[in-house]
This record gives sequence, structure tokens and C-alpha cells, in this order.
Amino acid sequence: MTDVKSDKSNKSASGWSRRDVLKASSVGAAGAAAPMFFTKNAWADGHESIGNYPVKGSEVVFGFNVPQTGAYADEGADELRAYKLAVKHLNNGGGMLDTLKPSMLSGNGVLGKKVAYVTGDTQTNADASRTSARRMIERDKVIMVTGGSSSGIAIAQQYLCNELGIIFMCGLTHSNDTTGKDKQRYGFRHFFNAHMTGKALAPVLSKEYGKDRRAFHLTADYSWGHTQQQSMQEFTEKEGWGTAGNIMTPLKTTDFSQYLAQVMNSDADVLVLNHYGANMVNSLTNAVNFGMRDMQKNGKNLEIVVPLYSRLMAKGAGSANIDGVLGTSGWNWALQDAGSQVFVDAFVAEYGFPPSQAAHTCYVQTLLYANACEMAGSFYPPAVIKALEDFEFDGAGNGSTLYRGADHQCIKSMLVMKGKSPSARSSDFDYLEVVQEVDRATANYDPSIFPGELGPYKPA
Amino acid sequence: MKMQQGFFERNRSVFIFALIALTMPFWFPLIGGYSGLDTKIMVFCIFVVGFDLLLGYTGYLSFGHAAFFGIAAYTTGLMLKGFSDNIIPAIIVAVIVSTLVSVVIGLLTLKRTGIYFSILTLAFAEMFHSMAMAMLQQWTGGENGLTGMPTPMLFSIKMQGDAVFYFITFVAILMFYVAKRIERSPVGLMMRAIKCNQTRLEYTGINARKYKLLTFVISAAYAALAGALMVVYEPFVGHEFLGWHQSGEIVIMSVIGGVGTLVGPMLGAAFMLYFENVLSVDLGEQWLLVLGMIFMVVVIFMPGGFMEAVSRLQARFTQK
Repeated sequence: MTDVKSDKSNKSASGWSRRDVLKASSVGAAGAAAPMFFTKNAWADGHESIGNYPVKGSEVVFGFNVPQTGAYADEGADELRAYKLAVKHLNNGGGMLDTLKPSMLSGNGVLGKKVAYVTGDTQTNADASRTSARRMIERDKVIMVTGGSSSGIAIAQQYLCNELGIIFMCGLTHSNDTTGKDKQRYGFRHFFNAHMTGKALAPVLSKEYGKDRRAFHLTADYSWGHTQQQSMQEFTEKEGWGTAGNIMTPLKTTDFSQYLAQVMNSDADVLVLNHYGANMVNSLTNAVNFGMRDMQKNGKNLEIVVPLYSRLMAKGAGSANIDGVLGTSGWNWALQDAGSQVFVDAFVAEYGFPPSQAAHTCYVQTLLYANACEMAGSFYPPAVIKALEDFEFDGAGNGSTLYRGADHQCIKSMLVMKGKSPSARSSDFDYLEVVQEVDRATANYDPSIFPGELGPYKPA
Repeated sequence: MKMQQGFFERNRSVFIFALIALTMPFWFPLIGGYSGLDTKIMVFCIFVVGFDLLLGYTGYLSFGHAAFFGIAAYTTGLMLKGFSDNIIPAIIVAVIVSTLVSVVIGLLTLKRTGIYFSILTLAFAEMFHSMAMAMLQQWTGGENGLTGMPTPMLFSIKMQGDAVFYFITFVAILMFYVAKRIERSPVGLMMRAIKCNQTRLEYTGINARKYKLLTFVISAAYAALAGALMVVYEPFVGHEFLGWHQSGEIVIMSVIGGVGTLVGPMLGAAFMLYFENVLSVDLGEQWLLVLGMIFMVVVIFMPGGFMEAVSRLQARFTQK
């Protein structure tokens, strides 16, 4: 028995002779040296290669990185629908290609190349989103990445893309940081932000509820929540309101009773819920269950405000709970301008129901990127970036819009929304009504109020 | 009759691993992989090898290894940001900090065994996660993660693309060799004895707690090294690095590959990352469901993971 064993090991010992080892290590050494021979140095139309430029072949590939699993999967699914529609329109014409002005889009691909796409799953997880974006960039050779349904994830991808020389067109991200302290040369945001929400919402609030109000904030304890709370406090105080308090609620909170009790014991007569997604659905439902919407404080009705509204959140909270509650949105499918109308019609024809604001911003971002490539006459990223910077356009659903060059934030009109009562609703997608369209001049702000640098046009 | 084996024979698996790993940039793209994913696989190979020393050899199932991974990642990130863009001091400090934390956690948790140990480690990891998300978000960036690091440098070499791959692969091969040495050492014997029967071991007059703590700390140091290298590979720290999901993923990688074999967990890590990033694209939204089913099939029919499949196949061929 032992003899057999030692025999076997003897045999295999000789199977790995010194020569074999030498062979193996020389293969390893060749492997280590090989990349030196393949360093990229391709030149095309006078530009050096950056990221996945120059684009080879007859197709140009876009990367759509959205949450397909996780907390924001519903929103991600709607974003993906919009992206697919945008690709269809870029290749075959139709949709906002007819309304966007100025536009060089032909409806026959971009710069003579058909648009193809790959998709990825961010899993509502920053690390996963970066790995997924990296796959698109390294393997699928995408020229541009777009997507993201929360600020943390958008910022994480924006840094990665900036480093690799790939333009990142943000999807739904509302934190001031995306185009504030974390702004990047290769990142662009069409969606509005928390600062603009505060600026637009505060005057409407003081008109509706009066100037002598005291607000209590409940704030989701992360970057977006913090910036949203600061902006709301700043602008409501400008209107003459007081701030009774602010509680940072952990992101994982599902029962907000303990915080709401503190709000009720304070002298506040307005409750501001700086929450998004499931947080907002839960905190609002808790507040309604506490009877806070029927409560009197300081001789006035206690009011609830939800700074950032989305249709999916409104649906989650239920229309009986959001009836009359004020908030802001970037866009709504009920808008009557030509750009919104063609987009909604195309979306409904394709999928059978109207698009969300996340779908709108993703769709517009794809078109704007493609149009910038046409304007630059090249996919060379620095040229495309320069085409996007300070680009003035109209007909994309938000009136005349500026892609501000100083911070890559779109300056455009936005909406103050109110929850509809159950009886006023016309369909299963009709939860919110437009109270006021806030014009671009009101939403505008000085980009230098936020720190951060865009950085160089060519990645390090 | 016992024969002294040669260096190459004893370390055959290390050489095979080195060969496969170093040639990865050539064959990996052929099966849909890409540069970047191979580097991440190497990082996780280090992580799971260390984890296997604890789970596979002493039988202690830690559900909190993400803590060591994450603490090291944050430390590395902050060192790169605030001290120097050279990765060497950053990695050293990160591993030291994380290892010290593991000594404290180890002392507190190793008094318990089985499910109690798992839950305690999980609780500690979640505590760190909550701290990163709330109290310490000034430093960690909270939900947004830690960003804005300079490009990591190995003295004058930029840690990007192939340079970072070969650097991390070199470390992975080294750490696998070290794990093999530990496996064969007297400590390795003690580790197996603890798994076999801790009470009996203690009756022989051996201080089992000392060896348990040693293994736990070694395993945490591996996790810390992986965490530090993760930031070298990608200058970004997500709060997910500290989360229970990360801890769970390591457990799944180890189980699917075959615990107690060192090689198996590495196979598991490669498979999981390959599946998550390459195959998931073809499967669409349902990829998590398919992954769950694969995990179930493996656990039910091959409790020894991929390594059991390998040894069964080997047995079949040698019989004939």
C-alpha cells in the first residue's frame, strides 16, 4: 500500500522536472512582457486615442448601465426602455429627433455608424456598477456609458469613466454633489438637482402655506439627503420660515414612528421629508397613520412636503396619502410641449404606458450625446465634451435648456407637483399634477457655490 | 516509507496556479472575459484563500470578513488620498490597522462556536458598516463611497491596466504559497485538530484558543490585503465593501468551490465573478435566479463543491 503510494508520488515528481518548471516560468515571463508590445498608440483623424476612441467598424456601441435588480429595479427597467427607444430613433428617425433644436441628428445612426448597445446591471450597488461599467468599456468597447438611478452610483461611475476617458451621461441623480463637489470633465447631468428643488419649491410653499411657518426636516442620512436638506432649509429660511429641527434617519429605516413623535412634540407646523424611494413611501405612510395630515399646529394645518417626487414613489405611498402634498419633478408625461408629446407618443406606442421622469432624462441624454458627436464631427471625447459644454437647445421637453460648461449641469425649467386625490386620477399612471412650471431663470444658480474641479480634457 | 518531496512537487498547485494566472490576459478574453475582471478575480482569490484557512481548516464560519476587507480598503483609500500615492505604505498601514481590529474581534467572538460565532462576527461587521454610513461619513463618504483618490503608484509605475494585474497576481501567487506553507506547518495541523475535535485537543494540554485566534487573525490579514489591493486596482471604496452582502459572497464562493481545499474557493471566486459579470449579461434580469439554482444544485449534489467534482472525475479515470 505504502509502496504504491510512494511510487505514484515518485512518478509525478519526475513529471515536474526542472526543465518543465523552466518552460512554465518562461511562458510566464513572456506573458508578463507581452503587454509592453501591445500598447495602444493608434491615431485617427488627427487625434490620439482616448478611452475607446477611435471607433472601429460600422457600429458605435453605447453602454446602458441601470439597476436591473435591487431597490431601484423598477426605475432601472423604465430607464432601459427609454434607452432602447433612443437607439431606435437614432438609427431610424422619429421621436425627439423631430423636435430637438438645433439638431444634426439624421435618423441614420451617428457619424455614419449604426448605434448598437450593451446593457449592464448596477444592482443598486456602487461597486457592482463600476465592475459592470468596466466590462462595457474594456470588453464591449463602448464609446459612452450612461445610467444610474441613485447619486452614489452615478458618482462612482462618473469617477471611473473620467479616469478611463469615457464620457458618462448621468441618468437619474439628484444630489448636488454629482455636478458639485464630485463633478468631472467626462460626466454630464441633464436631471435637475437638490439645490434647484429648494430654489423652485420654497416660493411656492410660502405662497401656499404662508410666510410664518416652522419646518421640521427628516433627512435620509447620506449625500443626497444632506444636500437636499441644506438646500430646503436655505431657501425656506429665505422665505421667512424657521427651522424647528432636523433628524438624520438611517437609510435602512423602515419605521419612522420614533422620529415622527419628535416632530409632533416640537413646535413645527411643516414636515419636510428629505427621503427618496422606499424611505419616502414609509415615512409618509407612517405620518399619515399618525394622523399628522389632520393635525393642527400653531393654529394652522400641519403640512407635509416631499421635495423630490417620482411617479413610482407616489404609487408606492398611495394617492390617498399624497393627495395635495407638494414636491418637485424634472419632467412629467402630461406636459403639452411638442418635445414631450412626441416622446410620450413614441413611448406609449412602443410599451403601452407613459414614461417616467427617469426615462425622459435617460432618453434625452442619449440623444444629446449623439448630437454632440455629430456637431464635433468625431467621437474624439475632448471634442464631444466641448460640443456639449454650453450647448443651447430646445424641444427636449423642458423648454430652452443650457448644458452649462462650468459644471456640466443642465439649466432648464422644472416642475412643482402636487399629489392628486384618488377621485381626480384618470389612469393608473396619473398620480401627480403640475402646480407650476418653474422657468429656467428661477431654477438657475451660480455654479461657483459648490467646490470641485472638472479637471483636464485628456485623462491622466 | 516516507520520502522527502522536492520543492516543485510540494508546490505543484502553486505552480499550476501561477501558470494559469499569469497567462490570463491571453486566454481570458477568448471566453468573454476582459482586462479588469481578471484583476478583480485575483483580488478575491487572496480573500477566499485566507477565508478558507479559517472556515475550511478550523471549521469556524465567519460572516463578518467584509469588516476586515472594508476597513483595509478605507484605510488604503485615505492613505492614498492624504499621505502619498505610493501604494506600499498604504497597503502596510491598511493591513496593520485591519489586523489589529481582527485581534479585538477575534478575542471577543472566538469564545463562542457554531452559529453564535457566525452571528457575532456578522454583528461586528454590520456595526462597522453602520459607522461608515453614518458616524464616519465625513471620512468614508457614506453612501457615495470614498472617491477622489489619485492614481495609485508603485513608486514610478502607474497601477493601471496590465501593471496592476501583474502586481496583484504576483501577490496572489505569493499568498497562495504562504497558505500552502501554513497548511503543512504545525499550525495547520492544530487547525485541523480544532475542526476535528476541539475538546480532545485541549485534553492533550494544548491551548486551542491561541491557535484559533492565530488562524482568525491570519485569515483577517488576507482579507485586509485583498481589501487594500482592491483599492489599488480601482481607486474607489464603496460602503458595500463592509456590508453583509460582501461577507456572504465570500462564503458562497468558498462553498461553491469546495471548502478546506484552498484551490476550490479560488475556483469558486473565479466562477462567481465570471458569472456575475459575463454570463449575467446573456441571462438578463434572471441571472440571480440562475445563480441561486446553481448554488443549490452544488450544495445538494456536490457538498464538496467544484473540488469534489474534480476528485470524482479523477477517481473515475484512475480506476480504469
